[in-house]
Amino acid sequence: MKKRAFLLIGMVAVFLAGCQWTATEAGEEDTDALQIVTTTTMITDLVEQIGGEHVQVEGLMGPGVDPHGYQATASDVIDMMEADVVVHNGLHLEAQLGEVFSGLDQQGKDVLVLEESIPEENLLASDDSAEAYDPHIWFSVENWKHSAAYITEKLSVIDPEHAEDYRANNERYQKELDKLEAYIAARIEEVPEESRYLITAHDAFHYFGEAFGFDVIGLQGLNTETEAGTRDVSNLAQFVADHRIKAVFVESSVPTRTIESLQAAVQQRGWEVTIGGELFSDALGDAAQNAETYVKMYRSNIDTIVDALK
Amino acid sequence: MMDQLISLLTDYTFQVVALGTGFLGLLSGVIGTYATIRGESLLGDALSHAALPGIAIGFLLIGRKEWVVLMLGAAASGLAATALIQWMSRKRVVKFDSALSLILSSFFGLGLVLLTHIQGSANANQAGLDTFIYGQASAMLIQDVQTIAGIGAVLLLVVGLFWKEFKAYTFDPVFTQTLGFSGTLLEFLLSGMMVVVIILGLESVGVILMSALVVGPSVAARQWSDRLSGVMGLSGLFGFLSGVIGTTLSSIGHQIPTGPTIVVVLSIFVMASLLFAPKRGLLMKQLEQKKRKQKYAQQLQTRKEANEYVG
Amino acid sequence: MLVEIRLIAVIVAVACALPGVFLVLRSLTMMSDAITHTVLLGIVLAFFITQDLNSPLLMIGATLMGVATVWLIETLQRTKLLGNDTAIGIVFPLFFSIAIILITRYAGDVHLDADSVLMGELAFAPFRRLTLFGMDLGPKSLWTMSVILALNAAFIGVFYKELKLTTFDPAFAAAVGFSPALLHYGLMTLVSLTAVGAYDSVGSILVVGFMVGPALTGYLLTNRLKQMIGIAVLAAVINSLIGIELAFLLDTSLAGMAAVVTGVTCLLAFLFSPEKGWIKKAALRRKQKREFYTWLEKEGIH
Repeated sequence: MKKRAFLLIGMVAVFLAGCQWTATEAGEEDTDALQIVTTTTMITDLVEQIGGEHVQVEGLMGPGVDPHGYQATASDVIDMMEADVVVHNGLHLEAQLGEVFSGLDQQGKDVLVLEESIPEENLLASDDSAEAYDPHIWFSVENWKHSAAYITEKLSVIDPEHAEDYRANNERYQKELDKLEAYIAARIEEVPEESRYLITAHDAFHYFGEAFGFDVIGLQGLNTETEAGTRDVSNLAQFVADHRIKAVFVESSVPTRTIESLQAAVQQRGWEVTIGGELFSDALGDAAQNAETYVKMYRSNIDTIVDALK
Repeated sequence: MMDQLISLLTDYTFQVVALGTGFLGLLSGVIGTYATIRGESLLGDALSHAALPGIAIGFLLIGRKEWVVLMLGAAASGLAATALIQWMSRKRVVKFDSALSLILSSFFGLGLVLLTHIQGSANANQAGLDTFIYGQASAMLIQDVQTIAGIGAVLLLVVGLFWKEFKAYTFDPVFTQTLGFSGTLLEFLLSGMMVVVIILGLESVGVILMSALVVGPSVAARQWSDRLSGVMGLSGLFGFLSGVIGTTLSSIGHQIPTGPTIVVVLSIFVMASLLFAPKRGLLMKQLEQKKRKQKYAQQLQTRKEANEYVG
Repeated sequence: MLVEIRLIAVIVAVACALPGVFLVLRSLTMMSDAITHTVLLGIVLAFFITQDLNSPLLMIGATLMGVATVWLIETLQRTKLLGNDTAIGIVFPLFFSIAIILITRYAGDVHLDADSVLMGELAFAPFRRLTLFGMDLGPKSLWTMSVILALNAAFIGVFYKELKLTTFDPAFAAAVGFSPALLHYGLMTLVSLTAVGAYDSVGSILVVGFMVGPALTGYLLTNRLKQMIGIAVLAAVINSLIGIELAFLLDTSLAGMAAVVTGVTCLLAFLFSPEKGWIKKAALRRKQKREFYTWLEKEGIH
C-alpha cells in the first residue's frame, strides 16, 4: 500500500515537471509575425504567397503528406495552441480535423476555410450524394484565384497594419496564376482534342477536367476507401483501347498497382498504353521534384500529362 | 446468357484475378488450417499491423518507395513480431491472443513513431508510404499469379514432406518433441509458412481479404470432416472456390469491389457450413434434438398406455 | 491545454484498462481490434439514412455497430463450433467488406470514411471543446471518456463477484443460477462503447494497446483479481504519462509513443515478474536441469 502511494506521488511529480518543461519548450521566437497553422501543403503555399514575411506558417502536412496519411506529432499540438489564425480546405477534405479547425473560432482564433471562397456554381457535386461536394477545388485555377483573394481579404482584416503588403502580394500572385492558366491552356493545345482523356486511379482531377476541357476518369471514385471491381477494370481497359488513349497516370500518394493492372488489361486488347508519369493530387511535392509550390506542382502535372498524351 | 459467360471467361482481367485469388485462397486455406487448429487465426491481422515499422525502416534506409526493400522490411518486421509473440506465449505464461494484441499495437505504434519522423523530413517520396505495399484483388497482375503459384508449390511441398511431423506437432507439441523432433525447427517452419503466405497475400490482395482467407476456409472445412487431411483438403477447396466465385460475381456488375465480394462469398460458405454440415451443423443438431424429443415423448406415451392397460 | 492532453490520455487509458482486465482473462483481447475495423459499417449505414456527413447519427451508428459486432462474435463463439479468435476473424472481415462494397457502389464520390466521424488523434483532442450555454466546459473527449470510465468502474464494482465467478468458473456460475451470458453481453457492450469512445479520442491503435497492455502487466505481476485491476490502473496511468512525455521529447506521434511504452512496460513485466517472469523461469529451468544431471550422475546414469 505504501509502495503504491509512493509511486503515485512520484508520478504526480513527473507530471508537473513535464508540464513545466514543455511549457518552456513552447516559448520559441516570439516574433511579430502572425502565427498561422494550415492543413494541406497547397494551403501552406497559398498563405505563404499572400502573407509573405508577415506570417509564420506551420503546415501540419509536410511535402508529400496528404490528409489520409497524416499523423499528428507532439509539436503540432504546440503549433495549434500558439496559432493566431488557422486555415483549412473544408468540404470534408480533412474530415474530422476540419471539424476541429472549425471549432477553433470559439477559442479565440481566426478560422479561414477555403470552402467559403468558392462561389457555389464553381463547386462540383459528387454523383452519389446531392449534399456532398468534391473537395479538390484547387485544381481549378480560377477557384484558387478566389481563394487567394479570400485569404488576402481576411488577413487584411485580422492584420490591417500590413494590409497593403497583402494586397500587393495578392496582385502579384493573381498575375502568376493568370500566367499559369495561360501556360496550361497553351500546353493543352498540343494535345489533339480526341486525346484529351485523363485516366487515374482516383477521381481527384474533376475540377481540372471541368476547367480545361479534359475528360477525367478515375477508376475508383474520389473516396480512397473504395476498391475497384474486375468489371470496372475491364470496362475501362476497353475504353482506353477503343479511344486509343496513349497514357494513363499514377498518383504520388496512391498505390500504383491498380493502374498497372489496367495497363496489362489494355495491352491484352492489343493497344500499347504507357504509364505517363506520376501526378500530384492531394499534396504538393518537394524541392527535389521541383513541385514544392502550387504553381510548380501544376506545371509539373500538366507537363507530365501533355508530354505523355500528345 | 451463354455468350455473356464466355466473354467473361475469356476476359483477361477476370482470368488473372480469378486464378490469382483462387490460388491464394487455396494456399491460405491449407496453411491456415494449422493456424486455426493452433488457435492462431488472427496472426494475419496482427502481422499486417506489425509490418509498419519494417516498412518505415526500409524507407528510411533508401529514401524512396522501392517495392522490394519495403516488402523485405515488412517481412522482417513481421517475422520479428511472430518471434516475439511465440516467445511470450509458448510457455503459456501469456495467452496467445494477449501476446498478439500487445505486439500488434506496440509494433504499429512504433511504426507510427517512425512515420512521423519521416513526415518531418521534407522528402515527398513518402507519399502513400503506409498503404504502398497493400494490394487489391482487382489489381492483380500476371506476375502475382506466377509468384503465388510458385511460392505456393514450394509451401505445399513442405507441407507434404513434413506431413506427419506437422500433424503431430500441431496436435501434441510436447509429445512430438519427446519423440526427438526439434520443436524449434517445426515451430519455425510452421510460423515461417504463415508469415510467407500472409505477406504474399497482403501485397496482392490487401489486409482484410488476407485476414479472412487464413481463417474462413478452415473453419468451414472443419464442420465437414474430423481428419486433418479432410479438413485441409476441403479448406483448400473452399478457399479456391471463394476466390473464383467472388471474382465472377464482382465481374457481373459495375463497381462491385472484388476483394470484399470474395470475403462475402467465403462468409456464406462458413455460415452454411456452421448451419448445415451433418453432425456438427447447428440445424442438424436442432433436427436431431427434435427427433430425440419426439422419440422420447413417444416412448413415454407408450409406457403410459401400457401402465394403464395393465393397471 | 497540455495538461488536458495528459488528463485525456490518462482517463482513456484507465477507462480501457478496466474492461481490458476481463478481456485478458477471457482471451478476448482481439475484440477491440475487431471493433476498430467494423465501426466503418455503422458509419456507412448511418450515412445512408441521413445523407449528411455532419450528422451525429453517424457516431451513434459506429457505436451500435460495435455492439452488433461483439454480439455476433459472442453468438458464434457460443455455438462452440469455432474458437474465440476464429469467430472474431470471421466477423470483422465480413462487416468491413460489406462496408467497402456499400461505399464503392453508393458513396464512391463522397468523402466517407472512419476519419469523417472519428477524430482518432490524441494531439487534437484538447481542441474539441464542449460548450454549453456559451460556456467552455473543456475537451469533449474528457467528458465522454470520464462518463465511460465511471460506467465501467460502476459495472465492475457492482458486479464484481459475478464477474469474478463467471470469468474463472463459468460452469459453476451457471449451475448456481447466474446467467453468465447476460453478464458477458453487458461487459461486451461496455467494451464496445469504450472502444468507440477511445477510438474517437486517441485513435484505433491505442484502443487495442490500452485495453490489453496495462491489464496484461497486471496479469503478469499477480494472481489475484483485485490486485490485477489495481496494477492495471496504475500501469495505464504510468504508460500514458510517460508515453506523452517521450512524444514531446522526441517530437513524435503521441499515440504511437504511448503504444510503444505500453509494450515496453509489458515486456519488462514479462521478464522481471517475481513469479511468472521469464528471467526467473529461465533461472529455475537451469537450476532444475543442473539438479537433474547431478541426480543422474549420482545414480550412475550417463
